[in-house]
Amino acid sequence: MKRWFALLLTLIFIFALAAPSVVLAQDEVPGKEITFFTTYPSQVVGIGETVTLPLRLRTTAPAQVISLSMKEVPEGWTATFRGSGRAVEAVYAEPNVDATVDLRLEQPANVAAGTYKFVAIAKGEHGSAELTVFLTIQEKTPPKLTLKTELPTLKGTPGSTFRYSADLKNEGGDDLTVNLVAEAPAGFQVNFKVSGQDVTSFPLAANESKRLSIEAQTVSALEGGTYRIVVRAQGGVVDATLELTAEVTGQATLLVTAPEGRLSGQAYAGRETPLKVIVANNGTAPANAIELTSSTPSGWTIEFDPKKIDTLNAGQQVEVTAKVRPPEKAVAGDYVLTVRARPANGTTQSADFRITVLTSTLWGVVGIVLVAIAVAVVAMAVMRFGRR
Amino acid sequence: MAIEIAQATGKREREGSPWTGLWAVVAKEMADHLTSARMRVLEILIVLTAAGTIYGAMQNIRSTIGQDRFLFLKLFTTAQEPLPAFVGFMGLLVPLIAIALVFDTINGEFSRRTLSRILAQPIYRDALLLGKFLGALFTLALVFTAIWLLIMGLGLWGLGVPPSSEEVARSFLFLLVTIFYGGIWLALAMTFSIIFRQPATAALASLAVWLFFMVFWDIIAGVLAQTLMPIRFGFSEEYLKQAQLELGLTRLSPTTLYAEAILALLQPSIRSLGFILPTQLQGAILGSPLPLSQSLLLIWPHLTGLLAATLLLFALGYTLFQRQEIRA
Repeated sequence: MKRWFALLLTLIFIFALAAPSVVLAQDEVPGKEITFFTTYPSQVVGIGETVTLPLRLRTTAPAQVISLSMKEVPEGWTATFRGSGRAVEAVYAEPNVDATVDLRLEQPANVAAGTYKFVAIAKGEHGSAELTVFLTIQEKTPPKLTLKTELPTLKGTPGSTFRYSADLKNEGGDDLTVNLVAEAPAGFQVNFKVSGQDVTSFPLAANESKRLSIEAQTVSALEGGTYRIVVRAQGGVVDATLELTAEVTGQATLLVTAPEGRLSGQAYAGRETPLKVIVANNGTAPANAIELTSSTPSGWTIEFDPKKIDTLNAGQQVEVTAKVRPPEKAVAGDYVLTVRARPANGTTQSADFRITVLTSTLWGVVGIVLVAIAVAVVAMAVMRFGRR
Repeated sequence: MAIEIAQATGKREREGSPWTGLWAVVAKEMADHLTSARMRVLEILIVLTAAGTIYGAMQNIRSTIGQDRFLFLKLFTTAQEPLPAFVGFMGLLVPLIAIALVFDTINGEFSRRTLSRILAQPIYRDALLLGKFLGALFTLALVFTAIWLLIMGLGLWGLGVPPSSEEVARSFLFLLVTIFYGGIWLALAMTFSIIFRQPATAALASLAVWLFFMVFWDIIAGVLAQTLMPIRFGFSEEYLKQAQLELGLTRLSPTTLYAEAILALLQPSIRSLGFILPTQLQGAILGSPLPLSQSLLLIWPHLTGLLAATLLLFALGYTLFQRQEIRA
């Protein structure tokens, strides 16, 4: 009994030792002794991109040379196996040591978007293995810029600044460097601002949007009317345009002066003296209902002829006569007289006139009469008392 | 009665011109004045005064150099402590010099018993009196002109800028007014020398009048104004009327007239010599100079008043002299 038991144990032991080799022998199915793989067999790539995939070969069989080839390549694509910087066609694989080789896939010139299938095959002495790789070419969004504004039409006066704000968006898939150009009529000076800084060119990443401030400074001599400003944003091959409208309303700018610009005059105390005043409109729109007023030293009277100017067209001037009358008892010397012109539309303008008041010579005559009387008295004394 | 007067006037009809011998008297009087020791003293006094005040004024102008349009006129009006300005000295000295020149012009001839001798010559009394007056006036004019030229020359040398034509005109008018101001005191002193036989009395009387106007008249004018225009209710009109009356009274004094006239001439920015209400100055550009014609117009009453007073005083003296008995 004891011998049978010992024999059984020995058999079990033998079987236990032999069992693994039996299992391995069963795994070695023909053609499966080569394992051919890559880590990421399915990839999304961009157009024009050359893809290099690291491939690995593993063999369980004794060391052998494995030849590599492409079983399936889409039309136009170029697939090459590369190792140590060269194109290779075979790999020597040792058991249990991974052999690596690169698969380089080059796109044709005009590749269409879609998924491409590549099948590489590795053939050994006892079998072969296939590796299927999928490359998906994604359709890239074409470069595109948009320039939009909510308020394309602004209204203002000459000399003011028209501030438009626009949104510039890069809707393409590429980063762009955007140049800003404006086509504006004469009399406009257009500047671009991004975040408060003057810019003419700036980078704009894909799908990025920037708020643009477009400032159009006008000259004050601009005539009233509607002006068109075209703003163009150029980035690479694409551009976007935006049409802006500036409605300039004319303005009446008055100027009060005197002939030859001489703002001084003379007036006799208690006597009416005419003073020439010129009211000119240097603005861009007619001035209506100009009222002439003045502030005078106390006791003075001033009368304008005409008192009111109904309409004064731009670039025209009109002469007004101011009848100035200092009071009878005015002290001689220089006084300031302010003449104002107030149009119904526009700002009031004024000019200071320096009036020299002269006193009447009437009292001088009285003095001479007094002296004459004194002379007469002397003469009378001489007549009366003159002796021989 | 008309016939009587005609006969009376007919009796007094002159023979020949009353001006005969006038210029001889003028020339002799001037020669006497200019060679007299009295004149030397006065000349030294006035030259020292002028040199001192102008030197002081120049120091002052140099230290406060500014953009004054009338730098030359400042020579006359700028005072440097402790000396008063030149015009201040002139207001004081001109009457004294005038009185000193003529206080004994007629009564001196009396006391020397030379008057009848002169009048024995073919010279009318008219010519004698006018000649004595003009002789003294020309002497004054000569001295003052020399002083004026001295000051202008010192100004040119010391300031280094030529005076503008208006400055020259104004300072020349100042000279004229000063001479005529001397004239009124000449006429006064001459009248007193006709009235009083003693030269000392005449001199004292003239000095009394001068002192009266220099010192007392302002006080009396103030008192008079307060009595004549008393302030009953305290309205500003009352104060104004009182002040105007006081000003009018003080202007009866030739010293006041002269001071105001000189002020307006030498300070062109003076606009008025009377009272100005604030409303009259509203809108006025202060400090701007008046044109010369306006300054003259401002002091015209003063000038005519001085001239008329001189003439009337001369007429009074003339009348008294003509009625005097000289064969003593």
